[in-house]
Amino acid sequence: MGEVERASHRAADMDEWDVPQMKKEVESLKYQLAFKREKSSKTVTDLVKWIEDGVPEDPFLNPELMKSNPWVEKGKCVLL
Amino acid sequence: MEELRKEMENLKDQITAVRKTFQDSTLQEAAAGVTVVGRVQLKTRKTLRGHLAKIYAMHWGTDSTLCVSASQDGKLIVWDTITTNKVNAIPLKSSWVMTCAYAPSGNLVACGGLDNMCSIYNLKGKDGNVKVMRELAAHTGYLSCCRFLSDTEIITSSGDCTCVLWDIETGTQKMVFAGHQGDAMSLGVSPDFKFFISGACDFTAKLWDIREAECRQTFGGHESDINAIGFFPNGNAVITGSDDATCKLYDLRADQELLTYQDPSIMCGVTSLAPSKSGRLLLAGHDDFNVNIWDMLKAERVGVLAGHDNRVSCIGVSSDGMACCTGSWDSFLKIWN
Repeated sequence: MGEVERASHRAADMDEWDVPQMKKEVESLKYQLAFKREKSSKTVTDLVKWIEDGVPEDPFLNPELMKSNPWVEKGKCVLL
Repeated sequence: MEELRKEMENLKDQITAVRKTFQDSTLQEAAAGVTVVGRVQLKTRKTLRGHLAKIYAMHWGTDSTLCVSASQDGKLIVWDTITTNKVNAIPLKSSWVMTCAYAPSGNLVACGGLDNMCSIYNLKGKDGNVKVMRELAAHTGYLSCCRFLSDTEIITSSGDCTCVLWDIETGTQKMVFAGHQGDAMSLGVSPDFKFFISGACDFTAKLWDIREAECRQTFGGHESDINAIGFFPNGNAVITGSDDATCKLYDLRADQELLTYQDPSIMCGVTSLAPSKSGRLLLAGHDDFNVNIWDMLKAERVGVLAGHDNRVSCIGVSSDGMACCTGSWDSFLKIWN
């Protein structure tokens, strides 16, 4: 049985694009240019705050939250 | 033709320029006062044994107990991760599976791969047997990833460079998302189900508006194929993992690249990624059999999960944030916390 190979490749170089494809890409770029961006000073501050607010509830960062850990057997033996 | 090419380049330059005008701060600056988290050590709590060949994909159910995995042995297995029991072992028509997904309802699972199709299975059929409910066929390349929006809609990404939104009941394509210039390798759905992101072999990540079928934003910066992609837990940022051995964080609101997670000692491509519940930690699976754990704010490596004997191909954190599941080419899944 062979490997599941994926040939990672780039689709046709832009040199090989036809006019309709290029027109679609131009329209897409116009739409992307029009996106309503916000200043990163606001967005990164919000991101840091959101993370810090959530850290106390993050089980991987708070051993107390993992005290009752469903994946750890409590009893001495488990009947299979 | 030449005019169109010039227009394209001009628009790209304009986007780069506009992005600069909104870049009045960096994540490093905003996180300057934050201390790096202490060493994170997660232990293997369970090993799920049963697959007979490489595992290519896994996905948690929303109940944080069940998960589904797909292997080159031609099986989809639904596991109870707490008891390690196999709830379902579904034989596939094609063993060349590359992805699997669990519907939020828990009623359906999906998979696909080199057969270019996405097969939907009903776990809750009347007679208890799990059968193929639909075969979604239209892609002209392999199925790299799939994610349910609901029991009636699913999104797929393909080696044919497109992503598709399907109507599961009719088995037809509702929308086609074209724009990537290379195989689409991975996709993620936003927490509010309004957007999805795709990572591709053209080294870019794209954010798509599901209902408008438009690409809203394109993010570059990686130097090789993007294999893994995921939303930051609050939906305002995107995380990517690439063959260039790095992960990147992109801010959706400011339309900027924020951070790169890299280390000279890490030379193997990223295969999979998942953020922790708060987004403070990033877990990234690599070709070198390990999972690296990053402090997302400080871009420092704070832990390693070592336990697999071959490539880590898939990773997921349960929705309650209590456990991480890794799947590997060594044929095992491991639950860590």
